[in-house]
Amino acid sequence: MNNPVITVNNVTKSVASRRLLDDVSFTIAPQSLVSLIGPNGAGKSTLVKIILGIDAQYEGTVVIRPGERVQYIPQLVIDDQYQLPMSVYEYISIATNRLYGNSSKKIDFEKTLSHVGVAVEKLHQSYISLSGGERQRVAIARALLGDPTILVLDEPLAAVDYASRSGLYELIRHLQKDHKMTVLLVSHDIDSVLPLSDQVLCLNRTLHSNCHPSELSTQDGMYNQTIHHHC
Amino acid sequence: MELLTYTFVQYAFLGGISMAILTGILGPFVVQSRQSIASDMFAHVALAGIGGALLVGIGPWWGALPALIVVSTLIWWLLDSGTYSPDALAMFFLSGGLALALAFVHIARDTVFSFENYLFGSILTLTTTDVLAILVSTIVVVAVLWCLWYPLLGATQSPRYLIPFRRTPKLVQLLFFWLLAIVVWVGIKTIGGLLIGALLVIPVLTVRNWATSFKQLVLLSTATSVSSVSLGLMAALYVDMPPSSLIIGMSILLFILQTVVGSLMRKRQM
Repeated sequence: MNNPVITVNNVTKSVASRRLLDDVSFTIAPQSLVSLIGPNGAGKSTLVKIILGIDAQYEGTVVIRPGERVQYIPQLVIDDQYQLPMSVYEYISIATNRLYGNSSKKIDFEKTLSHVGVAVEKLHQSYISLSGGERQRVAIARALLGDPTILVLDEPLAAVDYASRSGLYELIRHLQKDHKMTVLLVSHDIDSVLPLSDQVLCLNRTLHSNCHPSELSTQDGMYNQTIHHHC
Repeated sequence: MELLTYTFVQYAFLGGISMAILTGILGPFVVQSRQSIASDMFAHVALAGIGGALLVGIGPWWGALPALIVVSTLIWWLLDSGTYSPDALAMFFLSGGLALALAFVHIARDTVFSFENYLFGSILTLTTTDVLAILVSTIVVVAVLWCLWYPLLGATQSPRYLIPFRRTPKLVQLLFFWLLAIVVWVGIKTIGGLLIGALLVIPVLTVRNWATSFKQLVLLSTATSVSSVSLGLMAALYVDMPPSSLIIGMSILLFILQTVVGSLMRKRQM
């Protein structure tokens, strides 16, 4: 692959003699939507932390192409009863500060929210009063203010109701094309992410497959074996 | 009302309301960052500073400030290193501060000194210098919060609401610890080191269900905190009770009142 945005080479990670990742290697092409799928405990979050630079204790190399701007949207936890009220306006405004690595430019909130399909009336509502889908859309809007070239989403539909799921995936696909971003999508929701993806990484400590989704479904038995067995 | 013409009463109101503004504004940040116990830890560290000041022969309250700044920096550094859990560190400094304070006071052999004034406050004995120091502290804390509102809001949020990874400026978290140290410093002179935590936390719990934004929460908790201090001080002028206990009593009363009103309103809506 020419000039990949992310190159992962022979990454191995062990904790207390337990191997979390075993010799994982792949590259991600610019402006592609890549799904990282796998069961619980497969090492997906560990791999994401290594790619983001949060976890530096591993063997192998991870290279992000110089000049790329990465934004990350962590998994949404909907039931946080201790969270104090914070308006959508405040949630977004936290991002617009040089101290957080973003510019302090004035935000057009109406445009920012409508871009991700959230009504502008929600701007002064409490962020935790929004539905899971709306929260994820607002989180995406905030991430986009950092003008990312790479967007990493960890289980974006984990706390989102079924009806909102397809809309959110469509939004991610649309934004990826619109902003010419590379998107790395970590998900359990295999059947929904496959049609959207340009590349699928099936991880279960080792990388079981790295291909276009159509190759998975056309190879006889491969889909069932690889996806439903390993992932 | 004639009592309000006395200088010591005016000083008590000036110092008390300044402290209420400080706790009302910083309280939501403290509760949000799950650092409620930190105020108690800082208060015990301040006692060690007070003991140290007695040893070197300077005003005890003034000795508490450098101790608070140094130790809050140390605690921030230890928390950032991730080696020790926050609750273990809290207990370490809480007990360590108290033990050091007892040792210093014993070595200083000051027979007149009493910890009680700093544990439970001495708001009715504030001097002109004390009030000036409290007013300056209030202006400094409010100005810093005004200028760095969103960075502080970001740095004290739960990690899942933060701008994730590598974006949380560590120095903003240190600044938050210093602001808390200053509020505790003002607190030990007014309401007392052991009671300042209540004024940081109870007003926030009282109004949290009535706000839809953090800014609203700060305004409402400041109003609640100022009301508690004003009512408590007014009561202390007429009832022979320690002002600190009356202030916290008022704060608890307002909490109970809002709980009852809130639950009645919810029942009516159902």
